Amino acid sequence: MPVVKVLTAGIGEADLRDIKVYRDRGGYTQLKRAFTEMKPADVQALSDKSGLRGRGGAGFPTGKKWSFLPPDVRPRYLVCNCDEAEPGTFKDRMLLEETPHQVIEGILLGAYAIESHHAFIYIRGEFKRGYEIFMEALAQARKAGFVGKNLFGSGFDLELTVHRGAGAYICGEETALLNSLEGKRGEPRLKPPFPALQGLYSKPTVVNNVETLAYLIPILERGPEWFSSVGTERSKGYKIISISGHVQKPGNYEVALGTPVRELIEIAGGLRPGRKLMAIQPGGGSSACIFEEQLDLPYDYESLQKAGTMLGSGAIVVMDDTTDFVRAAFNLVRFFAHESCGQCTPCREGGHWLERVLHRFLENRGLTSDIEMLARVSHEITGINLCPLGDSIEPFLASVLKRFPEQFEARVARETVRA
Amino acid sequence: MNDFKALREKLKPECDAIIAQYEQPRSALLPLVHLFQAHEGYASADALRAVSEMLDLSPAVVESTVSFYTLFYRKPVGKYMLQVCRGLACTLNGAEDIMAYCRERLGVGHLETTDDGMFSYEEVECLAACDRATCMQVNLNFVYDLTPQMIDDMLAAMRSGKYAIAPLPQSQAPARTWTLRQDLQVSHGEKSAGAQDQSEPNNPGGLDRDGIIMLDRILSDEARFKGRTKERLANLEPAMAEAIEE
Amino acid sequence: MNEQQLVTVTIDGTQVQVPKGTWLVEAAKQIKREIPVYCYHRKMGPAGLCRVCLVEIEGMPKLQIACNTAVTDGMIVHTQSDKASDGRRAVLELYLVNHPLDCPICDKGGECDLQDYAMAYGQGYSRGVDPKVSKPKAVDLGPTIVLDEERCVVCQRCVRFDDMIVGERELVLKDRGVRNIIATANGEPYRHNFTGNVTELCPVGALTSKTYRFKSRPWDLQRTTTTCTQCPAGCQMHVDVRVGVVQRTMSLENDDAISDGWLCDRGRYNVGFYDDPDRITQPMYKRDGTWVQIGWDDALDLWATAIREACTIDPASVGVIGGGRLTNEEAFLLQHVFRAKGVAGLDWRAGRQRQASPGRNSGTLVDLEGCDTILIIGESPAERAPIVDLRVRKAALQKGAKVIRIASAERPYPAPIPSTDVATLAEAIKALPKEPKRIAIVWDGCDGELATSLLEKLPAGAEILTYISGEQPNARGAEAMGMLPFGKPGYGKAESGLSTAEMFAAAREGKLAVLSIFGANPALHRADFARASFAVVSDLFMTKTAQLADLVLPAKGPFEKTGTTTNMTGDVLPVNGAQSLETPDDALSDLEMIVALAQKLDVELPAAQEVDATVLRHLATAPEDFTLGDRRFGFPAGQNARGKDGAFKVVVQTRIFAGGGTVAHDARIAQLCPLPAAALSPEDAAELGVSTGDYVDLAPLDAGADGALLGRPSTGALARAAQDDNVVLHDLLVEVRSGMPRGTVALIGGLPDSPANGFDGASVSVTNIRRAPESTAEAVGAPA
Repeated sequence: MPVVKVLTAGIGEADLRDIKVYRDRGGYTQLKRAFTEMKPADVQALSDKSGLRGRGGAGFPTGKKWSFLPPDVRPRYLVCNCDEAEPGTFKDRMLLEETPHQVIEGILLGAYAIESHHAFIYIRGEFKRGYEIFMEALAQARKAGFVGKNLFGSGFDLELTVHRGAGAYICGEETALLNSLEGKRGEPRLKPPFPALQGLYSKPTVVNNVETLAYLIPILERGPEWFSSVGTERSKGYKIISISGHVQKPGNYEVALGTPVRELIEIAGGLRPGRKLMAIQPGGGSSACIFEEQLDLPYDYESLQKAGTMLGSGAIVVMDDTTDFVRAAFNLVRFFAHESCGQCTPCREGGHWLERVLHRFLENRGLTSDIEMLARVSHEITGINLCPLGDSIEPFLASVLKRFPEQFEARVARETVRA
Repeated sequence: MNDFKALREKLKPECDAIIAQYEQPRSALLPLVHLFQAHEGYASADALRAVSEMLDLSPAVVESTVSFYTLFYRKPVGKYMLQVCRGLACTLNGAEDIMAYCRERLGVGHLETTDDGMFSYEEVECLAACDRATCMQVNLNFVYDLTPQMIDDMLAAMRSGKYAIAPLPQSQAPARTWTLRQDLQVSHGEKSAGAQDQSEPNNPGGLDRDGIIMLDRILSDEARFKGRTKERLANLEPAMAEAIEE
Repeated sequence: MNEQQLVTVTIDGTQVQVPKGTWLVEAAKQIKREIPVYCYHRKMGPAGLCRVCLVEIEGMPKLQIACNTAVTDGMIVHTQSDKASDGRRAVLELYLVNHPLDCPICDKGGECDLQDYAMAYGQGYSRGVDPKVSKPKAVDLGPTIVLDEERCVVCQRCVRFDDMIVGERELVLKDRGVRNIIATANGEPYRHNFTGNVTELCPVGALTSKTYRFKSRPWDLQRTTTTCTQCPAGCQMHVDVRVGVVQRTMSLENDDAISDGWLCDRGRYNVGFYDDPDRITQPMYKRDGTWVQIGWDDALDLWATAIREACTIDPASVGVIGGGRLTNEEAFLLQHVFRAKGVAGLDWRAGRQRQASPGRNSGTLVDLEGCDTILIIGESPAERAPIVDLRVRKAALQKGAKVIRIASAERPYPAPIPSTDVATLAEAIKALPKEPKRIAIVWDGCDGELATSLLEKLPAGAEILTYISGEQPNARGAEAMGMLPFGKPGYGKAESGLSTAEMFAAAREGKLAVLSIFGANPALHRADFARASFAVVSDLFMTKTAQLADLVLPAKGPFEKTGTTTNMTGDVLPVNGAQSLETPDDALSDLEMIVALAQKLDVELPAAQEVDATVLRHLATAPEDFTLGDRRFGFPAGQNARGKDGAFKVVVQTRIFAGGGTVAHDARIAQLCPLPAAALSPEDAAELGVSTGDYVDLAPLDAGADGALLGRPSTGALARAAQDDNVVLHDLLVEVRSGMPRGTVALIGGLPDSPANGFDGASVSVTNIRRAPESTAEAVGAPA
């Protein structure tokens, strides 16, 4: 079976929110081992060796990200990004709510690895329950002596502060997240400088995803080779995939990278009976669709990139032949327009313009010229924005415009134009 | 006003503890507003002023920051904040029908509160519960796999005070909507000649109603596209010219 | 100067060498290649928001923004390639999707960056067929500014200005995404001393000045560049005239040395008085208590005869006050004519200020920026010379300088500006940073004792720069020109004459026969003002002082004459008459009056070139033989005397829009003028049980520093108070001001209807407290 249970182990079987249960299953032993037996550099080396890449969306090698920190500037900060809001993604929320101690342990390991004495977790504002669960778990961990001063007698102090967002997708972008953490509007920062040099409070900072940090635990436990032995040449290890849409068993599934997309859909129970697959959005709302003929693509960073799309946060949305692609396109464009911070013009104005045009299509008021306009404008606003949000509008829209032009054409107000 | 003074006094230790968590006090802005909202039901002007004083920020900076985040309600909301997910996965699973049903049952639209002050209704972006589509949050607590029946039961339970999720605190009677736009219009008072009304908050597409009439005119009134405009378009934008030609 | 590393960059085929780290957009300017920008501003650096400065850089797959790209050696840039043009075109189209295109009724039309760039780089048509989003067209942001939300391109220049340059953070961005708008907190008025700058920063017609809205198109304006003479900073400005009226003033972006490219609101907006109906248009003579209009020849005869007769008896019975509002040339000729008649009673000092030239250690405004410590003593420059205050803010905000204010009753600086308020000199010395390298002292020129003792206590080894931010624009020039009772031009030794205070003392004893006052209003600003037997006043308006004169001469304003002026740091700056500005037919410049008087008095004047040369010679070098608080300026003793127990000591403060002259006669800015107010510390207010918005009266308990207050209620300054048996100052609006020293009440000086001058330094009691009506409390609650 391609589905594995690493981070997802025990979920649904035991109450992992209870520190006792978590510890009985071996929780916090790796943390203790790291603090008592390893140097921060050792932890860094292990993660580097494992080939672990960021699980939040960009897929940037974690060890490399850490290596950008200037060696002699202190303090350093680790910020765990739990602002999961990419449409179709629901893995971090599961980790937060179901195995909060695993999240804590991951953060502490990451902070130790980069020698940060103050770590933060930024939890999406909507995850109120997750926040409460996490706070409870953190109190347990603190009581057990895993957070605070002189951990495990190592002389290493480590504080973990929980920061709750307040409703803004863009705060998932790391510099916007840092601004939000500093009590500012969640607007992405102009780069350079990058967070590794000037992040939180202008100090060197690393922002890592929940899942990324959590994988540090099994990597420490079973060794980097265990992790790097699965997956493809450059996409190593396991990943939690959120599958939703028109499948019979939507959910989170932990698999090895490189598993063919076809298998992933089968894992999720396949399509409803009698339905035909039309499109798959393989990597969150920002990714272009792949189609039936591409089902054998291995689900890894490189293969998807080569196919003109991306793995992103690992959110697969499956669409069958009941899908109205004009509506779907409108839905995602509206999402990005709604979540645009509005700082830079192409994203702010372009997103809104496209949203309005697509809204007009929904009312059967399209113009023939609009179809080309949608493609061209969405392309023109790509690659010239301050942050990636503006660039996220084009992929899905362009791929469905190309694949299903008839759905758009059907909504053109031909009769009016001919009059 | 005095109520707020008492609240501020009561929350002071908690506020101080929050501020102390951070290297720079301004970081406490979001948590402090969350705290006051949890007690007052919304981010009141008093609360914002208090936060600006505690963090030594200008009131404008606090308002600017708060206005960026959709979970901070600048005006009082109802006892139950119903936030239905309009994300793609939910939409594929019938969210639009659920939303239409909610609107019909509540008699209000997106970003509006019912007259009795019971319910505030909003259609929100993906809530990260796509495996249980369609979903919603009630006062930020998840409710999954929605059906019309569930919504009826839920509303009934809320009305009779038997719903499992606690209502939001009500320090003020709710307004029709809690968005900033309304706020600004009120504070700026009379608009000058030539200024027009905002598009309704209920129109998520942002397309304003008057505008559609204008578009109809473009579509039907061929003369507008004849002459110089058309010739220019023929050179510059053949596709558009073609559309008009038809 | 450090040798900077130069790099070579090729822009559109032209090589240019620039210092390493230069932003590409600046490098391009050197080869006269303009890269369009909206959000970038030279004084505020890149923001990266507007995305209109896209260029193609070889070796980079994506288009880059020129504002945030530092040039590197060998970089090859194309600003006009197909790719760059196409990117720019696309961005510009987006700007216009929801832009109202109301250029025909837009003030910015003709000088609008959106118009210009759309013309230069846009595609000339729009693919958008949807109706434009409509938004409020005239949002009242405050007393000076109106916002058109539809036109706003959200470049955030105004927001960044408020944040980075002024530090007030009143103007912010609200909401998110496409609904982003510029706004203030809770719709409160946008109000500080520099608001007008945002209208110039605004690249489009979104932010407009109330005084200029719908007044003109830029191409119909006639422009003159001159020096602002509202305060001693000496900002360079453009004056734009149409139909004979000053329509607006604008800053010079490259005036780095003085204004740093900004203007304060007084300088920008107080220009509507030239065509005020109150303007004096003819010489006026008071005959048997009634004003009659007379001709210039009669006026000059009356004046010259009075002087000649008095001089024959005793030249010491003749006095002249003024010069601080004249040009250098006028001041020079003024003293020349009177000294020729043996008069030594010449003094420019018509208010509280005693000294204008700091002498040794005089620094430039650019130097001020480089100081690590800035000590502000006396009244802060915030309301006297706001542009100097802006430099202080710049030093603090952008370069981390420490600002220390001693015994300040002024409002505290906003939070982003690190400043410390201390009560005493000793505390100030304690508050100094460790081993300060460069200390600036900014002083108001009033309390000499304070300045001297501060200078004595400063640590050795630190470089010290001194500044005097005074009351009159050309006070330093007037001093150097010899409008001083103890000094000839160039601070040359002279037979000592009467100072202003001595002249009024003499007048009180009936010993001052003729007093000529030029561009000064001592009746409003001094407690000791007294009438001379024959008083002549040259002014634009019937000021308090003019009303008490025998002969009033209609003068020209600064935009109506030509000459030079000297600012507080000693720069000699041009005063140019604004082209096509209409002047009342019978108004003369002070220079013309003095020349005519010289003829009547048979005083020979030097030739014009000689005057110019002499003036320049005297101004060329700063006097080295004195410093702040020098004895010869005659500081009154005991300025620091404390008030009686249980009483409040009065501090009179300047406000940029308080005054009896040009400000009081400018209908366009009427609503900017402050109401008579009394500021109290929160502790005192609590004890008294008053809060902001209430009204109080002040009753004096003993004498003020400038002289006996009680027992002299008949002087002009106290005319209003004299109607009352008890000499009480009535109806003052209370402002509870944090950071105020206890036991102090701050009044606004220069308000004709509320003569606070007589109360300066006095001990008073607060009486007759009245509650504010509900609505007023709201209105004045916001800090102005």
